[in-house]
Amino acid sequence: MPNIIACFKWVVDEAYIRRTASGELDFSSVDYKIGEYDRNAIEEAVRLKDNLGGSAIALTVGVPEATKGVKDALSRGCDQSCFITDTTYRDLEPSQTAAILAEVIRSRIQNYDLIICGEGSSDLYAQQVGPRLAEKLGIPCISFVQKVSLEEGKLTVERRVEEGIEIIAAPLPALVTVLPDINVPRIPGVKDTLMASRKPMIMIKKDDLAPIGESHLRTASLTAARMERTCERFGTDAAEITRFAESLRKKGVVG
Amino acid sequence: MAGVWIIAENREQTLELLNIACELAADIGTRVAAFLSQDHERVQDYIDCGADEVLVLPPLASDQSIDAYIPIIAEEAKTGDPDLMLLPATMRGKEMAARIAARLDTGLCSCCTALTYDEGSKSPVMERLAHGGAAVQKVTCTTRPAMATIPPRTFEPATPKEDRHGQIRELPAPPPSEVKVLEKKMKERVAKDITEARIIVCAGRGIEKNEDLAFIRQLADALGGEVACTRPIAEEYHWLPEELCIGLSGAQVKPDLYLGIGVSGQVQHLTGIRNAKVIAAVNKDENAPIFRAADFGIVGDLYDVVPKLIAELKK
Repeated sequence: MPNIIACFKWVVDEAYIRRTASGELDFSSVDYKIGEYDRNAIEEAVRLKDNLGGSAIALTVGVPEATKGVKDALSRGCDQSCFITDTTYRDLEPSQTAAILAEVIRSRIQNYDLIICGEGSSDLYAQQVGPRLAEKLGIPCISFVQKVSLEEGKLTVERRVEEGIEIIAAPLPALVTVLPDINVPRIPGVKDTLMASRKPMIMIKKDDLAPIGESHLRTASLTAARMERTCERFGTDAAEITRFAESLRKKGVVG
Repeated sequence: MAGVWIIAENREQTLELLNIACELAADIGTRVAAFLSQDHERVQDYIDCGADEVLVLPPLASDQSIDAYIPIIAEEAKTGDPDLMLLPATMRGKEMAARIAARLDTGLCSCCTALTYDEGSKSPVMERLAHGGAAVQKVTCTTRPAMATIPPRTFEPATPKEDRHGQIRELPAPPPSEVKVLEKKMKERVAKDITEARIIVCAGRGIEKNEDLAFIRQLADALGGEVACTRPIAEEYHWLPEELCIGLSGAQVKPDLYLGIGVSGQVQHLTGIRNAKVIAAVNKDENAPIFRAADFGIVGDLYDVVPKLIAELKK
């Protein structure tokens, strides 16, 4: 029976990011969530476990507040969680996150068959942690997967590429990153949330691990994306519809 | 040896990356090397289009995918010490780049949309979108090589110059792969390539039922454009195929006109249309975010507005 690890990231909910009048990003009233794409990773791990037996472990690296995300992941059906946390883990880059995850998987989890990651985090969307983690662990990596099947020691997946689909087989343990359309993540109910609080949660501190390397990328700036548009409004009566069509014609985009 | 190295899957991607690679190589004062994995007769073509060296990869076994080259490319980079490595931000390209970056223990700027060379810090400055497209992040890389993946069609393709000479080097064959490609199912194009469309009418969640897409199509026909959609229309409702879906994880389009019908304008979707020349929208919710991103917006019920628009455009 497979032991499956689902990795996720606790991220800023981008719907709450505001722009100040001067065009700066305002994070003052943000809320957090499990990244959209990571919910598919958790769901897939739980579905596989439900079908095949075994276990699903939710794994994350983050600041102490991310403990809310750990509870959320458990209420989404994972059996246990492993949370590596430190106040300095706010702006880790993919190479650092992958290094931490690899060390923990190697030293604390060991016995695993499949690691599932989302196709990218919904904040930075660098789409690197999965493939980098597989390299660190020296296991096969298949990204952008839309269907997973597991049989005795073997993984078969459908991987999406620009030109179509590839059916791919790999030995276990392996890592896959899954596409958002692989499943529809469940919405946890009250009972799920209550049950989650009784599940085992392992917490690992920064000091328990080898020091991580320096970041490779330096963010020179992070600014609000500009969408400079004229934002002209129109009504729905005949004259307004004509004026709208005229505006398009004047721009030369409609014949 | 240094240089700007590019690794792409086909000619189209290679020429595009050659263009930006040559520009940066000139600024850095170095040369351009391009990897070539199939169609080996293209060596001179790549040299004509700016490569100073072509690194020829031997053919793959039939059950191997391009990622089998990762160990060869990573070894080559360890000895060759390039300044910068560029790959296309395609599904395979993104995975390969991250895995090569892990092997070289260096930084990678994913989906980089602008690249310049900073004389002061002697490093490339790479620009990308973050937070679902709400933010622009500029990064530099402190380790060698700097790496970036570049979304297809970000830059124009390089054009051939006359009288160019370059070196050619054959690389060793990749080791057998643990990961085996059992079957390749090539997609039959069910839809037109919307990234090429000049006019796009985009169907959003405001559309109530599948049949109503018919008049979205009529509107597109009246405009001489193509129909596209937001993620829920393709993914939740399955009313339209996946490849018509616009957004951060779908198609990034750059038409002359984008017209959103019943599209609320979530940031992930807006990221896919930010390069449209004109953005127009119809939505009944005057507070929908699409109106802040649109040049022209009609606040009204699409079921009232669309027929009127079709009639008006046919005039």
